Amino acid sequence: MALRAVDFLPRSAEEALALEDYEGCAPRWCTGCGDLGILTAVQRLLRDEQLPLEKVVFVSGIGCSSRFPHYMGTYGFHGLHGRALPVAEGIKMRRPDLHVFVNTGDGDCCSIGAAHWLHAARYNMDMTVMMHDNNIYGLTKKQASPTSPQGTRSNTTPRGSDLAAFDPLIATLGMSNLSFVAQAADWIPELLYKIISLAFHHHGFSFIRILQRCPEFLPDHFEPWVQDPDRMLILTHEDGVQMSTALSSVYRQTADHDPMDLIQARELVGTSERIPVGILYRNPDVPCYEDLRRSRQLQTPAMVSAGLEEELDKFTIWPMV
Amino acid sequence: MSVEFQQMVEFHRTGQHIGTELPSPATPGTCSALLAPYRRLARLRHDFPLVLVTQGSPEPLISLSDVIDAVLQEIAPPGISGKRYREHILRLETTIREQVADGAEGSLSKLWAQAEKALLSGDGNGGRELLRDSLQAARARLDIDGPVVGCDEQLPARLFEHLWAMAESSRTRAALERIDLLTHKLGEILKVDDLKAAGARTPQNLKNSLGERYQDAFDFELMSRLLNQATPQRMLPAGRRRRIQSALSVLETQKFFAARSTGAKRLRNKTQFRFVFSSVANALKAYRERLEDMAELVKAMMIAELEIDNRYVESAHDPFFQRFDAGMLGTKDLSLFPAYLICLHEQDCAGRAQADLMEILSSDLPMNIVIQVGDTLGEAAPFERNVPNGLRGHQLAGIVTGLGSAYVLQSVSAGLYQLRAEIAAGLTYTGPSLFSIFSGSPEMTPGLPPYLVAASAMESRAFPAFSFDPSAGQDLAMRFHVQHNPQIEQAWSHHELAYEDHELQRNIVDIAMTPADFAVTDLRYAEHFADVAPDSWNDDMVPVSDYLELDEHAAADKVPYVLVVDGDDILHRLVVDDTLIRVARRCGEQWRTLQEQGGINNSHAAALLARERASWEQEKAQELQQLSIDLEQTGVAAGPEPEQEPAGQAGVAQTAGTEEAEEQSPAGPSPDEAYIETPRCTTCDECTDRNNRMFAYDENKQAYIADLSAGTFRELVEAAESCQVCIIHPGKPLNPDEPGLDELVKRAELFH
Repeated sequence: MALRAVDFLPRSAEEALALEDYEGCAPRWCTGCGDLGILTAVQRLLRDEQLPLEKVVFVSGIGCSSRFPHYMGTYGFHGLHGRALPVAEGIKMRRPDLHVFVNTGDGDCCSIGAAHWLHAARYNMDMTVMMHDNNIYGLTKKQASPTSPQGTRSNTTPRGSDLAAFDPLIATLGMSNLSFVAQAADWIPELLYKIISLAFHHHGFSFIRILQRCPEFLPDHFEPWVQDPDRMLILTHEDGVQMSTALSSVYRQTADHDPMDLIQARELVGTSERIPVGILYRNPDVPCYEDLRRSRQLQTPAMVSAGLEEELDKFTIWPMV
Repeated sequence: MSVEFQQMVEFHRTGQHIGTELPSPATPGTCSALLAPYRRLARLRHDFPLVLVTQGSPEPLISLSDVIDAVLQEIAPPGISGKRYREHILRLETTIREQVADGAEGSLSKLWAQAEKALLSGDGNGGRELLRDSLQAARARLDIDGPVVGCDEQLPARLFEHLWAMAESSRTRAALERIDLLTHKLGEILKVDDLKAAGARTPQNLKNSLGERYQDAFDFELMSRLLNQATPQRMLPAGRRRRIQSALSVLETQKFFAARSTGAKRLRNKTQFRFVFSSVANALKAYRERLEDMAELVKAMMIAELEIDNRYVESAHDPFFQRFDAGMLGTKDLSLFPAYLICLHEQDCAGRAQADLMEILSSDLPMNIVIQVGDTLGEAAPFERNVPNGLRGHQLAGIVTGLGSAYVLQSVSAGLYQLRAEIAAGLTYTGPSLFSIFSGSPEMTPGLPPYLVAASAMESRAFPAFSFDPSAGQDLAMRFHVQHNPQIEQAWSHHELAYEDHELQRNIVDIAMTPADFAVTDLRYAEHFADVAPDSWNDDMVPVSDYLELDEHAAADKVPYVLVVDGDDILHRLVVDDTLIRVARRCGEQWRTLQEQGGINNSHAAALLARERASWEQEKAQELQQLSIDLEQTGVAAGPEPEQEPAGQAGVAQTAGTEEAEEQSPAGPSPDEAYIETPRCTTCDECTDRNNRMFAYDENKQAYIADLSAGTFRELVEAAESCQVCIIHPGKPLNPDEPGLDELVKRAELFH
C-alpha cells in the first residue's frame, strides 16, 4: 500500500489566506443590497476556516443571488434557472472532497427549482444551501415571487398579488429525511455568520433561508423588522447559536430552542408572530446519500483515463483501412 | 510476534540490521511528512530572502516580502482595480526569490532588474504592456537598496556583519564628532598662542594678513614695531603647550574610528584597526594589544576637555594622568570603543578557543560572538569527527546563560528576521554577547532548502530559540524569553497531515514534530532509521512522541516510528533506533528546562498554586462546616428553590431583555463621539461609496470610521441617514465653522 501526500499542511502565518483572497470579481449588486452582507459572511467563514481555494465550489441557478459564484475567488458554477441543486449533487457525488455551497433565490428555489429542492433535502448530501429570500424577482426588475406577501404590487401583479405567500420554512420542515434547517437575516451579520458556520460544519444538507433586503424593488419591505429588533425572535441554545453581549442588548427577544426538537421547530415557524432567527432543526444522524451510494470501486487515474478514452472513442472517425 | 515485527524490534534496540535487512532511507529528498508541502519553498511567501539595507531606510534589515508589500501599498489601490498590480508584482517577488534560491547574488536593484527582464521575456504580447506598466510603477516606488541574502550557510556571518556595522556606525559617528570637536578646539588654543608670538607680528605676516588692495596704505614695519611694544607677551606655559600638543597628536592619529573626510590628518583604512574576527585567539590578542592605545585615547580626550575649559590644574591632574593606564578604563570608557565581532563555526570552539570563549563571556569585554552550528544532535551522528569532545557549540548558549553577565541569543537561521530586534539589543549590549545560530549542513540535507532544515530544527525542539538579556531587569521573567518557539505551551509542536490513501480518500493524522522527525532529513542520521513496508505496519508501531510518553514496561512491546515522504511524495514509516530516541528524550528534557526558565508550566509556580489551592479549599471547608453547625443550632432552614419561569409561546421559554442585562452591558460611547456599530454592519457599501476615506472596511469587511477628518459633518450625517441598518452615529461636528451646522446637528440627533 503506497500512500501519497497530496494536501497542504496547516498554512503558516505568512501563508494564511486573508478575506481578500476569497474575493472574485467586484460585486455588481445594488448599493445597500442584503446580498453583500451574505457575501461577506461567507468570505469570513472561508477565511476563518482557511479553506483552500481549490477545495471550495459555489453553485447557483439564476437570479440576483445566483451571481454569487462570480464574486468568490473559488471554483464556481453559474447554472440554469432552478437547477443549482442537481448540479451541486453531481459535484458532491463525484468530488466528495470539495466543500459545496449553493446560492439560490426565492424564485430559483421555490418556483422553478422546487422539485429539485424537495429531493435534495431528502437526499441529504453534504452541502450548505443558502436561499436568499428577498420576496421578489430583482434581476428581472420586480416581478412577484412565490414568497411575495399577498398584495405585493409588481410588474406582473400591478393590482397586488392574489395568493398568500409561500413559506419555505414550513415546506422544508415538512420534507422527509431532513437534517438541517435554519433561518437568518442579512441585517444581523453576527448571527448570519454563526448560522452559516454551523451549517457548514453540519454533515448533510444544510438549508438556510436568509431574509434579504432588496433596497431597489422592495425598499421598505423588511423595515419594520430592521428598525424594531423586538420583532425578531432569536433562537438560542447551547447546541445552536449564542449571541454576544453587545448583540443581546439589541435583540432582547430570545427563545431557548433545542435544534433536535422538530415539532417545536414547526410550531415556531408556523405560529410565531416574530421572525425566528437561529437553528430550527438539526439531526446529525441522518445518513448522507453520497456515503450510501458512493462507488467502492478504486478510481485510479488510469481507470479514469481509460474510461474517458472509451467514451471519446465513440466519436472518433476511424481511418479506412 | 511476527517475523517482520521481530526485525523492527531488533533494529530499534540495537540500531543494527539483523536477519533480513530493513532498507535504510538514505535517499536524498526524504524528509518528515510535515515538511513535504514546503519543499518547493521558493514558490511560497516567507521571510526570505532578506535585504541588507544600505540606503533608503533606517531599518538595517528588511524582508523582500515586506519591501514588496510596501511598494504595493503605494501603487495598488484596494479592491479589483489594484488586482493587476498585485498579481504582477507578486510574480516579480517570486522570480527574485527563485533567483536567490538558485544562487543568484547581488543588490536588490540588480536582482529586481534581472527579474523584470525574465518576466517580460516570458509573457505573451497581450499581457506584456500591462506587465511592463506594473513593473515600471513598482520600480519607481522602490526606494531602498542593498545586498540580497537567502537563508543559506553564509547567512549568519553576512547578516551579523551587516547589523554589527550598522550598529557600530552610530557609535562611530558619535565618537568621531566628539574627537573632531576636541581636535578643533585644541587646535584653536594653539593657533591663538601662535598668533600671540613675536613671529606672528613680523612686517611680512602683517602684510599677508591684510590682503593686496590696501597694502600700499600701511607701513607694516611701523605696525610691527608698535604691536610688539603695545601688546603683552602672555604666551601658553611651555608645559601646557606640550600637554595640548600631545593630546592633539593622540586624537589625530587614533586608529579606532575611520575618518569621515579625506582632508583630515587621521590615519586611513590601511592602518585602521579592524574589529571583525574569525578567531577567538586573534580577537583577544588584538584587544590586549590595543589596550594601551585605548587608554591613551581616553586620557587624551579627558585632558582635551579639561584644557578646552581651562580647568586643568597641574598639581591635581598631573599625578592622576601620570598613573592613568589600561587598568583604569571603566565601563563607560570602554563603551566609547567599537565592539568586536567574532564569527565562528562550531568546529572553531575546540580546545584553547573554548577556554578563551569562556574567558570573554564571563568578563565584561565588549565582544559579540556568533557561533554557527551545523549539527545539533551531535552524539548520534556516526560521521562527526571535527566537533570537540568537550563542550559543543550548540550547548554553549545554555551554559553561558548560567554565567548571568552575557547577552545570549539562540536561534535558527530561518528565525533571524523575526528576531532582528533581539539581535540589535545583543549587538548594542554593554558587555559580551553570544549568538548561537543553527544553519544546518546543506551537504548533509540534499534536496531540501536550508531554510526548511533550520526551521524544522526549531519546530522539533532540537534547537529551540531563547534570549537572555541581563540588562532587561532584575528577575528571570524580564530577562529570559522563549516566545519565538512554536506552540510554547506544548512539549512538542503538533500539526495535521492530510494525505490521500490507496482509495484516493482524504485522511488526516496529527503529527508531533520531534527531533527524530528533524533528524530524518539529515544523511548523517540515516543509519538510525529503517524503512518498513506498508504491509508490515501494525498497531504496535507508535509515533515517536507517543513512544516517549510510555514507561519502560509499556515501551517494551512497542516500536517508535516517524512518518516521512520520499522524493515521489510516497508516505513511509521509518522505525527509529534507541540511540536517536535517547537524543529525542534529551532534547525534550532541555526544552522542558527552557520552558520553566521562560515561566511556562513552571513547576515551582504550579507547586505553590497547588499549596495555596489546598489551603483555600481547607479554609472554605471549615467555613462551610461552621455554617452548617450554626444552622443546626439556630434552626434556620435553607430558602425555597426559586420558582421556574413559565413556559412561553409554543412551549418555548422566551425571555425579554432585563434590567440585569442592561446593568451588565458595558457603557456605550459618548453621544458626542462619532462611531459605527461595526459588528452590525452588513457591508452594503452605502457609507464607503459615499466617502471611502472617512469610512473603511476592517478585516471582516465591516465598516468603521477610518478618518473623521477626511470628510464633512454633512457627509457623516447623510451616511447615517442612508445606512440600511442605522448603525452610524454622527456625534458632534468636528468643525464648528461648517456651513448649515444647526440643521445637520438636528438631523444627527436622531442617531444618538
